Amino acid sequence: MILIMIITIENTCKKGHENELFTYIRKRLIGLVIVLFGVTVLSFLLANISTVDPAEALAHRIIRNPTAEKIEEIRTEMGLNLPLYQQYIHWIGNCLKGDLGMSLLTKNQVSYDIAQKLPATMQLVGMSLLWIVITFIPLSVISAVRKNSFFDQFVRGLTILGISIPSFWLGFVFLLLFAVTFPVFKVIDYGNIKSLILPSLVLAIPTASSFTRLFRATVLSNLNKDYIVYAKARGISANRIVWVHVLKNSLPPIVTLFFQHLGYLLAGSAVVESVFSLKGIGLHLLNAVQARDLPTINGCVLVIAIIFVLCSMLADGINMLLNPRITDKGEALHG
Amino acid sequence: MDKALFRNKQALIGLTLMLLVSLIAVLAPLIAPHDPNKMNALSKFLPASREYPLGTDHLGRCVLSRLMYGARYSLGLAVPTLLALGGIGLVLGTTAAYIGGRFERAFLIVGDMFMAFPPLIIVLSLVGALGQGMGTVLAALIFSMWIWYAKVIRTYAAIEKAKDYILAAKIAGCSGLRIVRHHIVPNILPQCIVLLSTRIASFILMVSSFSFLGLGFEAGTPEWGAMLSQGRSSFYSHPNLVIYPGLCILITAAGFNLFGEALRDVISPEEASQ
Repeated sequence: MILIMIITIENTCKKGHENELFTYIRKRLIGLVIVLFGVTVLSFLLANISTVDPAEALAHRIIRNPTAEKIEEIRTEMGLNLPLYQQYIHWIGNCLKGDLGMSLLTKNQVSYDIAQKLPATMQLVGMSLLWIVITFIPLSVISAVRKNSFFDQFVRGLTILGISIPSFWLGFVFLLLFAVTFPVFKVIDYGNIKSLILPSLVLAIPTASSFTRLFRATVLSNLNKDYIVYAKARGISANRIVWVHVLKNSLPPIVTLFFQHLGYLLAGSAVVESVFSLKGIGLHLLNAVQARDLPTINGCVLVIAIIFVLCSMLADGINMLLNPRITDKGEALHG
Repeated sequence: MDKALFRNKQALIGLTLMLLVSLIAVLAPLIAPHDPNKMNALSKFLPASREYPLGTDHLGRCVLSRLMYGARYSLGLAVPTLLALGGIGLVLGTTAAYIGGRFERAFLIVGDMFMAFPPLIIVLSLVGALGQGMGTVLAALIFSMWIWYAKVIRTYAAIEKAKDYILAAKIAGCSGLRIVRHHIVPNILPQCIVLLSTRIASFILMVSSFSFLGLGFEAGTPEWGAMLSQGRSSFYSHPNLVIYPGLCILITAAGFNLFGEALRDVISPEEASQ
């Protein structure tokens, strides 16, 4: 699909629309293909440094007391005696067909298991993202505008706490507070939005805190720029300057970071799912690790990494729409 | 600079917390009231008393002693690993920035590939493939995190490289290695120290979340994350066994965060407002 997009864009460019934007998109897409290729190679290598002999593991699963010949037979059948690069080609071919192998733990297709578990995690991550967006933008903008006010100091203290709190511990504290002491929520609850409120908050708080801190600094530096003076001179209202002009110019780096964090939230969901016993992909992966179910581990790792790469491309796309003059990747801020 | 740091209230609070935790870590064998691993079937889940200031856990071990020893694991793992990451980042980042061109582009593409794997994912897949063990977790941490440090340090070095005095050094006939070692590295070192000091808290949090998930330390180690994970089986009857280790992690992380941030504000104020 991506290849088709590249070719289409290539053709459009040849038709004389030699336009900076297209060159940029083409460059990014080629970059994306290279990164995706690298990600699959890395996933494959991670899977193959195992100390467990996959042929032997499989043989023990199928038959009791397999003989050495039987193991060799399986090895040949599975193509495990081939050189590594041929195994990779074979594996990537299967992956492209959606075949990630069979789980040793559940005996299902790995792709089937992932499709079953991913929606729950997506809901959790989606709701966390919602919390993050509705908290960090107003908090940081107001803090920046009223720099050093009581509100600013208060948010500073709160966010320091937010980035220092271990999320698994916060989960238990929430359970103790809101499900035992004040029983607003059930300890174990599935399948409705209410059951996601506590876990998604736990997942959201550290990220929302660090975003608030970063974004406050970005907004502050934008408030000191010349275009603000110009906007004031044009008679634009203070509110409009802050919430439209400053916001629009401050967003690009945080958009990149936001989508980068999506991948981290996806991984971080393992901790939260473990605390709240949610049946999502994180807990599934954790169980697979404990059972050393290699096909499942590889499948999950590959899926999460690909989602991550696609998200970072989405971030670039959104940045381009927000701010067309940025033709270089918004450099992520850390802190 | 030192004076500015000591006049900063935030830095002082952070420094106090950091010193407190470090002191407890160093002095744990001297000040802990009991052996952290000594089990006693007769004294399970004891409430706080003179003998056991914070009570005992499900195996009758002294909670306070275990918490004190826990400081050793958190700091003892986070600090050396972070220094190793900083070293790798400094070498690769400055090399990429100084050589530039195709080498730098290749470095960035490889970086993008590594950045697609959150550290937890790498740790999980390596532990799944190689089995449990501290060594595996350490290798996984370095394998997954090096790029984050190398990339930021590359940006620092690239900015430094573009300055005029580097050009002057080149004209004066300095070799590439000499420019990197004697001009670029010393000038970006303060920024690198700030980078590491602001990351140390999140690093401690990450390692404790791994051990909470059962990755890394052997069962029964008095590490805070692992203690919390053991406490969860009796969470509703004895929530303290979960609350205490979590508080220790929180205090440690808050100390490093407060200090790291104050240090950043003093050493490189421009960084704080970027």
